[in-house]
Amino acid sequence: MTLYGFDVGSRAAKCFNSETGGVEIADSHDWRDILPKGQEIISTGYFRREVPNIFNLTEITAAIYGVSYLLDSEVDVILDIGGQDTKVIDTTTNEFRMNDRCSAGTGTFLEFIAGYLGLTLSEMGRLHFQAKRAASINSTCSVFAHTEAISRLVEGHSKAEVVRGVHIAFARKISQMIPPDSYTIALIGGTAKNPGVVDAFSKVLEAKIIVPENPQIVNAVGAVQYYLQKGL
Amino acid sequence: MAIVGITALVPPEIVYATGNIPIDINNFVPKSGVVPRDKLCAWTALWRDLTLMGQIKLDKLVVVAGGDCNNALVDGEKIELSGIDTHYFTYPFDGDPQVMRHEIDKLLEFLGGEVDESQFKIVTDLKNAASDIDSERTAMVVKSSDAFEIMVSGSDLAGSLSGFKDKIDSVKKEGASGDFRLALLGTPPIYEDFHGFLDSLGLHVVYDEMPYEFLRLGGKSLDEVTRSYADYTFARNITHRITLLKSELQRRSVDGIIHFHQFACHHKLEDPILREALCAEGYPFITIEADLPSVTPQQTRLRIEAFKERLGDL
Repeated sequence: MTLYGFDVGSRAAKCFNSETGGVEIADSHDWRDILPKGQEIISTGYFRREVPNIFNLTEITAAIYGVSYLLDSEVDVILDIGGQDTKVIDTTTNEFRMNDRCSAGTGTFLEFIAGYLGLTLSEMGRLHFQAKRAASINSTCSVFAHTEAISRLVEGHSKAEVVRGVHIAFARKISQMIPPDSYTIALIGGTAKNPGVVDAFSKVLEAKIIVPENPQIVNAVGAVQYYLQKGL
Repeated sequence: MAIVGITALVPPEIVYATGNIPIDINNFVPKSGVVPRDKLCAWTALWRDLTLMGQIKLDKLVVVAGGDCNNALVDGEKIELSGIDTHYFTYPFDGDPQVMRHEIDKLLEFLGGEVDESQFKIVTDLKNAASDIDSERTAMVVKSSDAFEIMVSGSDLAGSLSGFKDKIDSVKKEGASGDFRLALLGTPPIYEDFHGFLDSLGLHVVYDEMPYEFLRLGGKSLDEVTRSYADYTFARNITHRITLLKSELQRRSVDGIIHFHQFACHHKLEDPILREALCAEGYPFITIEADLPSVTPQQTRLRIEAFKERLGDL
């Protein structure tokens, strides 16, 4: 039997084959479609107990082991931006913080804005770099930031400038959770695939942002690594 | 004999000694099943609505309007406007016993003035018995969820001195187990199953900060009660509170800290101060913010489970 890491979060399900390195991703509601049959599964994510597993752990611990395994260099902080929450894990103190009472610092916020602008998330990433300036978005609330985005468009800003402003507002909101003196930050989760977000974080935090090759599957990889390293 | 609602800690010794019965109206909130009409803190909004709806029946109300719960004032006024005889009680921020005595004298006047000091001893004995339950759960003899039920009733002694004694006598002393010893700082959880959830995870709470205050404070005379309640740490400056916290955390051999606070509560603003002061002492620290009453939400469960995993990796 093969050992699989299986991460089912609020938006996406990720399956990692520890032997081949193969990855499958599906909508979280369709996680059963990518569930390997008759295999040993280490599960993580909000739905980890729904998934048949031989062991399960939280995505916070999985992120620590996944980042440690996938990155050559050590980082001060792991920033995991999920669909419904954002997790900041201080690897120097083993502490973590989560934002789950406000959508402004989660992937859902960017989806909301992208939907209003009629853009896909990958188009948001491309447009970010086309803007010569960022529209000013100051609100730290999704709804008010949306209102501000409309105001900026009315004032004559381009979509690209609004997108860039939204990414910067997003990074500024999350930066409040980052401990001071954080110089290297691993950015993981599906949102990290948006290069505009990565650029915004590097500017707002003035820190080195490291994104693993496939940031969305870090926790699935980490789940397997935890299991193996603990000798469970 | 009047049923006197209290919105936060009001010396129950004084209420019983004046021939009245205290009812901590917060105890109706976790299982209320009511959604407040407008709110900052869910605790104050819900005891306000439950009282205005007639689901909490009171003859009088004492609102703690200064120190401790700073959101209570206007919600208390709304109840007063509905016609319930209401008094506003304030703790001195600097712990001045003369100011405390003045507040207690005003409270006595509101409650009828006559004091039967023999009630002080009865309340003290019951608080001592409840404190023994606290010690027994710290010694792993009593489950933390069972101890919490007793301790949190210390604010009004369950509204019945004999009933509180029966409650204490019925606590099972079958031993407790746990992988880690936790302190629960801040407001008591608005999630009715929170301690049970922690028990189920092998996280044994050995220190409930506010319920411990309910039992720690008291006295057998008006002077003793005055001096004791002037030391109520939730109403004092944060430095004073941290001094007691450090002492209790060490005394109870705590492995990690949960700081529990409410959305829109001024205690939320104390979180970074507590975090900095207590992390410097080497205690792992997690903050849980709650809003409306419910069973413990999945997101909160996830945080606590991750906290346990982190404790295991230290």
